Amino acid sequence: MKVSINWLNQYFAEKLDPKDLVKKFNLMSQEVAGLEKLVDIDGLIIGHVKSAVKHPDADKLKVCMVDVGDEELQIICGAPNVDANQKVIVARSGVTLPGDFKIKKAKIRGIESNGMICSLAELGIQAFDSNELGIFVLGEDALPGEDPLKYLNLDDQVLELDLTANRADLLSLRGVAYDTAAMLNIIPSFHEPQVIRETTENPVSIFTQTKNCQVYYGQLIENITIKQSPYWLKSRLIASGIRPINNVVDITNYVMLEYGQPLHAFDYDKINSDRILVRDAMDQEEIITLDGEKRGLLKGDIVITDGERPIALAGVMGGLNTEIDASSRRVLLESAVFNSIKIRKTALRLNLKSESSSRFEKGIDARKTLEALNYASELLVRYADAIIVGKPSFFNTINPKKKTITLSMDKLIKVTGLKFEEDDVEKIFNRLRFDFKKKGDTFIVTIPSRRPMESYQDLIEEIVRIHGYNMIPLSIPVTPTQGGLNKKQKTKRLIRNFFVGKGFYETKTYSLVTEEMARKYDKETLPTIKILNPLTKEREYLRHSIIPSLINVLIYNKARKIEDVFIFETANTYFKNDEQEKLAFLLNGKSDYSLWQGLDKEIDFYHLKGVIEALLEQLKITNYSIRASLSPLPNLHPGISAELLFGEEVVGFFGRLHPEEEHRFGLKDVYVCELELKKLYESSEKQEMTYVEVSKYPPIERDLAIYVANEISAHEIIEVIKKTNKKLLNSVEIFDVYYDQNKENKKSIALRLEFLSYDRTLEAREVDEQISKIIVNLKKELNAELRS
Amino acid sequence: MENKLKQMAVLASDAIEKCNTINELMDVKALYLGKKSEFNAIMQDLKGLSDEEKPRIGKMVNEAKQAISALIEERKNHIDREKIDALLKEQTIDITLPGKKIAVGHKHILTKIIEEIEDIFVGLGYTIKEGPEVESDKYNFEMLNLPKDHPAREMQDSFYITEETLLRTHTSPVQVRSLLANTNQEPLKIICPGVVYRKDDDDQTHSHQFMQIEALVVDEKATLADLKGTLLLIAKKLFGENREIRLRPSYFPFTEPSVEVDVSCFKCNGVGCSMCKQTGWIEILGAGMVNNNVLKAAGYDTDKYQGFALGMGIERIAMLKYGIEDIRHLYMNDLRFNSQF
Repeated sequence: MKVSINWLNQYFAEKLDPKDLVKKFNLMSQEVAGLEKLVDIDGLIIGHVKSAVKHPDADKLKVCMVDVGDEELQIICGAPNVDANQKVIVARSGVTLPGDFKIKKAKIRGIESNGMICSLAELGIQAFDSNELGIFVLGEDALPGEDPLKYLNLDDQVLELDLTANRADLLSLRGVAYDTAAMLNIIPSFHEPQVIRETTENPVSIFTQTKNCQVYYGQLIENITIKQSPYWLKSRLIASGIRPINNVVDITNYVMLEYGQPLHAFDYDKINSDRILVRDAMDQEEIITLDGEKRGLLKGDIVITDGERPIALAGVMGGLNTEIDASSRRVLLESAVFNSIKIRKTALRLNLKSESSSRFEKGIDARKTLEALNYASELLVRYADAIIVGKPSFFNTINPKKKTITLSMDKLIKVTGLKFEEDDVEKIFNRLRFDFKKKGDTFIVTIPSRRPMESYQDLIEEIVRIHGYNMIPLSIPVTPTQGGLNKKQKTKRLIRNFFVGKGFYETKTYSLVTEEMARKYDKETLPTIKILNPLTKEREYLRHSIIPSLINVLIYNKARKIEDVFIFETANTYFKNDEQEKLAFLLNGKSDYSLWQGLDKEIDFYHLKGVIEALLEQLKITNYSIRASLSPLPNLHPGISAELLFGEEVVGFFGRLHPEEEHRFGLKDVYVCELELKKLYESSEKQEMTYVEVSKYPPIERDLAIYVANEISAHEIIEVIKKTNKKLLNSVEIFDVYYDQNKENKKSIALRLEFLSYDRTLEAREVDEQISKIIVNLKKELNAELRS
Repeated sequence: MENKLKQMAVLASDAIEKCNTINELMDVKALYLGKKSEFNAIMQDLKGLSDEEKPRIGKMVNEAKQAISALIEERKNHIDREKIDALLKEQTIDITLPGKKIAVGHKHILTKIIEEIEDIFVGLGYTIKEGPEVESDKYNFEMLNLPKDHPAREMQDSFYITEETLLRTHTSPVQVRSLLANTNQEPLKIICPGVVYRKDDDDQTHSHQFMQIEALVVDEKATLADLKGTLLLIAKKLFGENREIRLRPSYFPFTEPSVEVDVSCFKCNGVGCSMCKQTGWIEILGAGMVNNNVLKAAGYDTDKYQGFALGMGIERIAMLKYGIEDIRHLYMNDLRFNSQF
């Protein structure tokens, strides 16, 4: 809302200090978006053109002698309409016009020019007179040497307020005046409209067939002369951000700004009857609105009709068929209140948001409908030579009973924590001009129609903001509660800390992705969730997996020459009726390397697997298994990918991207993993921390090298060994894998076995016995051959 | 004999000085102090001396031997030290060559700020609650005093999935869920961090996905003063001990009264600078007393219970704290950006 300071001053005995207003509004009412001069030019002056003769060396220029009060200036002017005896706006040298255009003394075709005679466009206020032909010519009464902005009522400042949805009252100058009065503790005074009426009967009758119009007044007005509005009215419209058009339109806009009540003027001679019928639109009904567009209507829209055809889309825009034009003589002026929700929906659907529709949407003081209409009538008499034909026709369904809200001092103190005195509260209600009665220490407040309120909480807000939020003391809640993270939240932090400790960067990527990305890395190819109203195709679906987003992060960084990318993210993934929190991570490049020492190996599958095993150890999860995927994900390398299982339950997958996928993105050796966090949390929570005393006795190590067929897995060999000796075998490590060229289809595996007892020192003999048994079993079960 | 002793001492001293290895030194030691050494010979000769001379010369011999022993010991230390010095010199490396690249990980700045805020509130007795991101219209709007057709819904343009489900536009539905789950209506002190979505085109200051933290206190006596005290504490913890706050009236459907909270500018200390647009204050969050309609919807008796809520955007806090100029940096994951936090 843009508020003209000159206009606001009109309601008060003394002039307001705009800077103080800014401060007060910010702290007690609404945020101020700005305070600016309406025309930000210093030093303009009224000049009297004494003579204007053709420039000897230029056909289109005139040499003017201009009296500016204290001196006479020679100014060269190129405007076609400049002439002797005009009163004009002069910018002397030294004045800066908008666009940082500085006026300087200059010679134009050999003749000196000491300033400029200005057009409105050059002053940045062309809206003030859209018919301007060149320079702007002031009235006869303008005095040379005086301030032209003052003469045109443009010496104004504009206070712009950012309004919240609950302050529709501030969409009117009167509402702003009420709030200003309350904040500054001063008294506003308001003009009471005075309408001179013809005693003739008003022939118009008004009917309604809808619940969506609470009140409707129609005033017939004759003898209209369409012309320009006076300067003061135009300047106030411009200050309010509305372009002046002609006196009738300007007056309806002016009254809307003063009262917050939108008005609409019909050309009465274009209405086919004396009957106005307000009703809901019918499906498939049409109207051509003032902007010339044909609008298809729906049942939820409200229309004004002449009994047959729609003549306006209520509250949103008038109909072209009853438009006011230069020849209009009789006008029917409408002042009404329509259902705010219906207006909002219609305006939204037809993309027809306007000053008037937004006021209907936010709510109007339905008790000022008639007063606003009367004020418009008064102004039309004064500025459009109008004759007011009798009293307005109307219907009115507003309940005359005003709402009250009670608030006790106890409640006020209990909610705010501030020990208010009754006297403070009384004074604040008086400042707000709220009527109230008292019953003991309880206030019964009559809610003014201009400030709709629901409950005592609204009253508390009014009291506190006028009293000042700075008066509220500081304390913290007294009720004791136990704070803390739950197990899941602790585990999540542990996981994040683990990855940070292992050199990974945490990423945050968007949940909304393309359809293709959303479907990837989901083995079950479950249905994806689509947004009904997406912004772009890039952000249309909720993802099933974080991995495609991590791959994008990798591509982004690779393009910027960042070669080693170790990233992780925890985020939700989305399925019908289910959100799964997942942990995904990606490895690419080198880790822990030293180029000049020749340590520069790219990471591989076993690095990835090592990270997973370490994570599980960190989470104290031991009862897991890893197996080659039974049906690998299509975007993973089928021979270099695996699944993590807790019991029979698959927790997630990991492996290298499919070479085709890598090729598609121009990547190499990309390793990824994605796990379901819920399963990690649950499994981790089940693990108890236990203690076993470490053995006092020394372990015995034995190395063993065998040949087995290539397809036998390390896992199978270790299982056979572990099965053979459960008691003394402490650990099995593979320390060499070797493919011997002389042994076709066979590989050599070297193992280090460690034996340990918790109750005695082991003897070499018993360890050797165990080794022999192990060799026998390996031979029997895996056809292994001892390497000599 | 005395002269001979002195002469021998000089000779021994010279010989020791000339030794450069332990072996040489051992040879010298054998020569002067061994069984066949000249000192031993002199000791044999003592037998021929008078009883007065015997102890005097014997003492002289012992002193000479001790002196030589000490010289040998000293020379030995010297040789050892030189040997170690040589070894150290030989082993000396160029310590300016680069170290092995041990990767250092980084949490995302948004995670860091969330954890920081969580820790502050946990210290004040709050627990952390989470909820789904795909939310019902009922929990996201209706139960928060935002019935269908409420104009304030336009403040939060939403991504819809069906007419009744959407991506949550704030973490407030977690408050609703927590109020409903608290069937005994015990005092509730919770914070709700999480991802939220608004239908905004991504630009320097807008992101269609962002993170919020909200706090909610509902009991029989939580006051506006308690809210103000809590806000000041948070502002000080996040932006420094010297910070002040001010509250300005605002509007949110789920709180009444509602306030915007400004913190005194931490760049200029409230004097006025480009960061605070010359006002000395920076808006950091919104808050208010819980609207009775919200409590009633969750089955609370508003004659008995009251409370406050506050909510802040994590991106905004991060951008303010570190002077990050574009919100999109937070989701770009340029590792040169992420590595700074």
